[in-house]
Amino acid sequence: MNNIYSNATHSVIEPKLKLFELIDTHPSVVSIVSRLNITLPFGDISLEDMCRRDGYDVGLFITLCNMHIDPSYRPDMTALRPNAIEDVIGYLRASHRYYAQYMIPHVARHLDEILAECDALSQRVLRSFYDDYTHYVMTHFEYEERNIFAAIERAQSSARCDLSTLERPHGDIDDRTNDMASLVIKSLPERVSTPLRCAMLKDIYALRDDLRTHTNIEMYLLRPLVERLVKTAKQ
Amino acid sequence: MRRYRVAIVAPAAIIGEGIATILRRGGEADVVLIERSLGDILPRLRGADVDMLIVDTALLRTTELGEEYSDIVVVALQTSLYDAEVARRMTHAITLYTAEEDILRTLSQAIDAPSEASAHESHELSDRERDVLILVAKGFTNKEIASELSISPHTVISHRKNIVHKTGIRSVAGLTVYAVLNKLIDSEQL
Repeated sequence: MNNIYSNATHSVIEPKLKLFELIDTHPSVVSIVSRLNITLPFGDISLEDMCRRDGYDVGLFITLCNMHIDPSYRPDMTALRPNAIEDVIGYLRASHRYYAQYMIPHVARHLDEILAECDALSQRVLRSFYDDYTHYVMTHFEYEERNIFAAIERAQSSARCDLSTLERPHGDIDDRTNDMASLVIKSLPERVSTPLRCAMLKDIYALRDDLRTHTNIEMYLLRPLVERLVKTAKQ
Repeated sequence: MRRYRVAIVAPAAIIGEGIATILRRGGEADVVLIERSLGDILPRLRGADVDMLIVDTALLRTTELGEEYSDIVVVALQTSLYDAEVARRMTHAITLYTAEEDILRTLSQAIDAPSEASAHESHELSDRERDVLILVAKGFTNKEIASELSISPHTVISHRKNIVHKTGIRSVAGLTVYAVLNKLIDSEQL
């Protein structure tokens, strides 16, 4: 592992690093590969060759990896191409699809198994809690795609954007995701098996952490990029 | 970190005002009450939504700060020798000789530290908290819960804080599911 090393705050990933080495060290990166539709198998391709082949900015790819690996990582804006906004929005949209088509249904499958162990009333309230949660999260994604992302894409041609639209809070989603975890830990009927509870918890926490990274990407990557765009346009 | 609200009980105005000046300079706290005796300040703690009470230990007897104030962080102001029993209620202390930056740091640590009680207490809801939770699950507002249980709205808020802390659940929807799964309410009550 010559190209991955750690300093006090985060690991540094170099463009010449092999993708398999990166995944071997940080398996969570697999989910980024999956979101970006990077083709498998990838043999011993390096990050820069892979990005060149698939048309991604390697600087942005590394930034996204760092943000997923270390929640306290803050991107170096000078290392990003001016047109990175488009790619960041592309990634955020891909993440929405990943949540909707993969992560949320995954939690739902565990929930179905759990419901089979519950009485009728518990089934009803748990199901409705989860349906409300899903609806809330999906509505939030739709809002972002229709209003915020679309406005930023328009702003790229007109160079005008109301930054306050980026301020939409995600705290509620985080609270509701945590509520779900607390219910699984503390309140499910005793006959729900421990492996099933653990599997459900693992997926809920994975979803929560990924959604937190998603918010970080919006606040610390997309927002500064939009600010830079507006500032450059004014000059 | 959010700003916290402080009440100060000190026997001499010069001490109370002096601490208030230091806190204002520190910029993290709002000093909302300064009094010479605990008796003058206790009835006003709830109304002022106080997070922290800084109290001269010479003025405090064990019985005065009852259970109903358990969510307020109490910091000792040591101006004289004090009773060991009283000292148990204090998590942090400042003295007349504590340096300004140490005063600010001590108070910051006090407001962020989980209280002794909450670290060791059981996560079982008390009977009163259960009553409040059931009404929350049924969709009652804080005001309605206060009138239903004949308690003050501030006490309702304090119970709700404890419920969130003990169950780990913040949303009303989540608390409703909790109430059903723990058989606190049935389908007719929903």
